[in-house]
Amino acid sequence: MGHFSVSVVGKDRPGIVAEVSRILFEQGCNIEDSTCTILSGQFAMILVVSHPAIASVTDLSPAFDEVRSQMRLIVTVHVLKDEEVIHEKSFLGNPHIISVYGADRPGIVYNVTRELARRKVNITDLNTQVVGTKERPVYVMVLEVDIPEGTDMKELEKEFERIRKELSVSITVRPIETLEL
Amino acid sequence: MAILPILKFPDPLLKEKSTPVDGVTPELSRVIDDMLDTMHASAGGVGISAPQVGVLKRIVAVDVSGHKRGGQEENHGLTVLLNPEILAKGGRQIVREGCMSIPAYTANIERAKWVLVDALDRNGKQVILESVGFEAVAIQHEVDHLDGILFLDRVTSVKTDLFRRKKYR
Repeated sequence: MGHFSVSVVGKDRPGIVAEVSRILFEQGCNIEDSTCTILSGQFAMILVVSHPAIASVTDLSPAFDEVRSQMRLIVTVHVLKDEEVIHEKSFLGNPHIISVYGADRPGIVYNVTRELARRKVNITDLNTQVVGTKERPVYVMVLEVDIPEGTDMKELEKEFERIRKELSVSITVRPIETLEL
Repeated sequence: MAILPILKFPDPLLKEKSTPVDGVTPELSRVIDDMLDTMHASAGGVGISAPQVGVLKRIVAVDVSGHKRGGQEENHGLTVLLNPEILAKGGRQIVREGCMSIPAYTANIERAKWVLVDALDRNGKQVILESVGFEAVAIQHEVDHLDGILFLDRVTSVKTDLFRRKKYR
């Protein structure tokens, strides 16, 4: 069995998912995981698919040539090693939401994520958006992160306090408290 | 005493309405014990309903006393409720809920902040229970199971309320 990641990017329009999934279906691929979004009018989708026989990119990728030319989609196919395909993701730390907002300026994402990376905090979801008016754009970033056990939260908070002052942004960190029912 | 398998959506039993308990029998007590074992075996599990283990009877159990936030709020500890009826409810709160029957997702669901519940305890004695906060959420979630309602039925927006679980338990 071969596993592949398939990424699709192109100007958003109805029918992209239908065409991509038709090709996968006709090739005999099973969609194991997928996500998609629209970013500034660009449709972006990433899928992890498996095939009982096909194991190389050159046997799968040409099937997308028709949507590459007809729908002007950028379709990229990569082989995944079996050990890279993890169905039961397990992040061992504590899930938190970090929300950051302030006047739009360069460096907000970098300054915050650099401090997270230094502490081996894993970003499990990230959304950024510019809201507000043209005259007063406000940058909003919401991160879902996995904070390793034993992380010095006070020290991280001190670092965030520095960023708040330097970039005039608001940063809030709160644990995700899920009620397991 | 046994840990039972949890039915997972789309198992059709999860969409069924459960029938009231009539009388506490040794059989029923065994079902309750098994439900509690199953709830305790699930990491962080603070609630369970009989239909989740394939028994279409109106039985729920909750225990938020060990939960990080729920345990700090007013709560009744381990509570078994037979034929629970929510008599009154009030207020609003949004809590991130996970469900053993929908293991891949969590969701932000709006629930009442406090509930007044009429039920029988596990000995068949009538109890009137007033519950607030996380425990009230747990009760509402489990009572929903008795009517075949899953949190997926209460999500108002897939985009903003439903989350793919980053950490499987």
